[in-house]
Amino acid sequence: MSPAPDALQRRHRFQWWELLPWATGLAMFFAFPNYLSFGTQLLVTILFALSLDLVLGYAGIVTLGHAAFFCVGAYTVGILAQQLGWNEPLSGLVAAGLAAGIVGLISGFVLLRTHGLTLLMVTLCTMTLLEQAANMGHAWTGGFDGMPGLSFTMILGLFPFDVLYFKSQYLYSLSVLALGFVVVRTLVYSSFGQSLTGIRENLLRMHAVGAPVRGRLIVAYGISAALAGVAGGLFTQVTGYVNLAVLGLERAAGVMIILILGGHGRLYGAFVGAVAYLVLEHLLAKAYPTAWQLGLGLTLVAVALFARGGLIGLFEKLRGAR
Amino acid sequence: MLETRGLCKNFGALEVAREVNFRLELGARHALIGPNGAGKTTFVNLLTGVLAPSRGSILLEGEDVTALAQAKRVKRGIARTFQINQLFRGLTVQENVCIAVSERLGVGGAMLRSAGQRADVLAEAARLIEMLKLGNDTGRRIIELPYGRQRLVEIAIALGLSPRVLLLDEPAAGIPSAETHILLDAIATLPKDIAVLIIAHDMDRVFRFAERITVLVSGAVFAEGTPQEIAANREVRAVYLGSALDA
Amino acid sequence: MDPVSILLGGLSSGMVLFIVSVGLSVTMGLMGFVNLAHGGFAMLGGYVIVLAMKHWGLSFVPALALAFVVVAAFSVVLERLLYARLYRAQELDQVLFTIGLVFVMTAAVTLGVGPETQVIRLPDWLRGQTDLGFMTYRTYSLALIVVGTLLVIALWLGFERTRYGARIRAAVDNRRMAQSLGIDVGRLFTVAFALGSGLAAVGGGLGAEILGLDPNYPLRYLVYFLIVVAVGGLGKVTGVFFAALLIGVLDFVLKLYFPKGGTLFIYALALMLLLWRPQGLFGRKSA
Repeated sequence: MSPAPDALQRRHRFQWWELLPWATGLAMFFAFPNYLSFGTQLLVTILFALSLDLVLGYAGIVTLGHAAFFCVGAYTVGILAQQLGWNEPLSGLVAAGLAAGIVGLISGFVLLRTHGLTLLMVTLCTMTLLEQAANMGHAWTGGFDGMPGLSFTMILGLFPFDVLYFKSQYLYSLSVLALGFVVVRTLVYSSFGQSLTGIRENLLRMHAVGAPVRGRLIVAYGISAALAGVAGGLFTQVTGYVNLAVLGLERAAGVMIILILGGHGRLYGAFVGAVAYLVLEHLLAKAYPTAWQLGLGLTLVAVALFARGGLIGLFEKLRGAR
Repeated sequence: MLETRGLCKNFGALEVAREVNFRLELGARHALIGPNGAGKTTFVNLLTGVLAPSRGSILLEGEDVTALAQAKRVKRGIARTFQINQLFRGLTVQENVCIAVSERLGVGGAMLRSAGQRADVLAEAARLIEMLKLGNDTGRRIIELPYGRQRLVEIAIALGLSPRVLLLDEPAAGIPSAETHILLDAIATLPKDIAVLIIAHDMDRVFRFAERITVLVSGAVFAEGTPQEIAANREVRAVYLGSALDA
Repeated sequence: MDPVSILLGGLSSGMVLFIVSVGLSVTMGLMGFVNLAHGGFAMLGGYVIVLAMKHWGLSFVPALALAFVVVAAFSVVLERLLYARLYRAQELDQVLFTIGLVFVMTAAVTLGVGPETQVIRLPDWLRGQTDLGFMTYRTYSLALIVVGTLLVIALWLGFERTRYGARIRAAVDNRRMAQSLGIDVGRLFTVAFALGSGLAAVGGGLGAEILGLDPNYPLRYLVYFLIVVAVGGLGKVTGVFFAALLIGVLDFVLKLYFPKGGTLFIYALALMLLLWRPQGLFGRKSA
């Protein structure tokens, strides 16, 4: 199915259905007041997956180490709160984004000269390195146990973090996600975003049209890292703790799986993937952890073999076939 | 305009360019021909900076660009097409051309405005797409187009860089003969001050177009002259007949 | 600990790394296939050995042979049915597919055998200490070193001296060229894949003493195996051998002297090495 001839001119305009996720998000708030803790996790995960979409889905950088940036953001907020008594949430998020963004720019500058298998390896190594470092820096990071019992001041001085029902956390996360989404959406529809897809589609040609390929990739990597850092910072703030579980191959693979399951390079894939994954995990994983893992594995194999566009891709196909 | 001096390239013991001295004049319509494996594409790769020469230098308007990176050379006006299509296959024709035009206009890294709101880019892309008779395919993805049409997109992208030197590597390869005229018309309507170098395997296709022909054999310039001179050159014919017999 | 003991300890774990990783190196070199599930075959091998010894009363060495055969056969089935569909796919699809496979293997083992760590009982003649004349050392570690050395010699001879080996080397070097010379790279790959997975199975069994054996094995050691291959260079048997020994010894020393976070240095070294020489320490730079 071909897009309409003027699709490029129109695609950045908001469509009515783009309100759906946000309407659903708000409706959830009123309909399931007892599930807001879960809902908050969901929103954080969506933001994390969205940040990955920018590099993996749009720029085509296959990385296994994206959890590193989530971790940098999470620990930045944690260390600021515990060691320096910096408990103000909004500035904490900004700090998390900045810290992760800087780490992203530097590591992008160093790592993005490689590609393919080597890139996969160096991103994996970087993340493992960070994990070990966080484990060793016990005085700052709390080592394996992390930093439990963090507390934060009121959001905007108005809304206290709500340890029991997660009401303010939920709305806070929804707002941060909306902001992050606007950033990503603006980027991917801009000329910059277009050039990222160009790099993904054909590197050789992108060089031949005179694009500063490596610079673009590094910038994209940095922005994506900053967003992942914000997601990490948000995670620490809403849960009130941070530990090494935010890191590691399983977490990195997890967010990649979420994105691919939803559909990468599709803007809303992060939403669909996170909802599908977390809801199923919530229902299955505690009762039947092994069955959950088995099902997940089989799903991945099936997606890799048959449904490369993920759930959204499947939906597009069905609509196209009609 | 574009000149090479003593250009050499070795891959190990294999010499793919030997002391190539070559001049492309302002507004030239030049053809580079030669049998398979003569080093024609290597020569284009050297000119555009994909490969670094082992020895020798490349000058653009008298300035040495030998050490310049590919992207910098594009900015200075050297554009190319590929012998085998190198397109953004999952994107539409319009997006393909827009990417090139955006880079030329220096807005390829702009993050705030939507690509669909860049009226200047869109208009320029539309003009090129019309020029190559791709108007009906604007919104189609490259993978949905027949190879010959994809070939035209390849040209549109190169023109989108508004080059001063245009290197066309076997542009007609894969285009059905009924459509070659679109290509030739497009080349004919190029501004006169663009220097065009067409790389081709055989003489027939470029005869109509070229004002000068250089024959490359085994990485070295074998002969150069007007089409009439080249056509009359017995040694050139021998080379072609020889390679035809080998093949 | 004296230096010789440290060296022997490091060498023996390096040998295990080598036996498991060598197949991964060859298959990744041949097809450029990112196979994150390779450790899964090592784990399956370990479980075949455990089950065969427990239920059929097989002794250690025949159980090793059985693991080789069973896992090699199983891997061929997987390769033909599934892997083969993804040779031309993007890395991302290969990564997803093989991660999925790891999950399936882990879950299957947990369901079938249980989540607990398995112990492989070594036969009496492999237990205890051996007198080397100037010192005594654990017999099993020495045996591992001998087996690993014999294996690398055999593989080296196979690679350098047989036509099959020459074909694999040609195909690793330049797949397209090899194909145009009439080498059936697909079939070559199947054989190499089976051999590599079988060896991994043997390595999983031999190494259970050192690396342990439980359903999380493939994920836990994934990075390690990949580092060995990346450092050694794709498709280089001797490269992987030296890389495995290097990492084995380094790891042993670091864990001894810096029990907390000593492995940090290995990752840091691997990272720097990969940035400096993406083709690995022993790989040749491709044009």
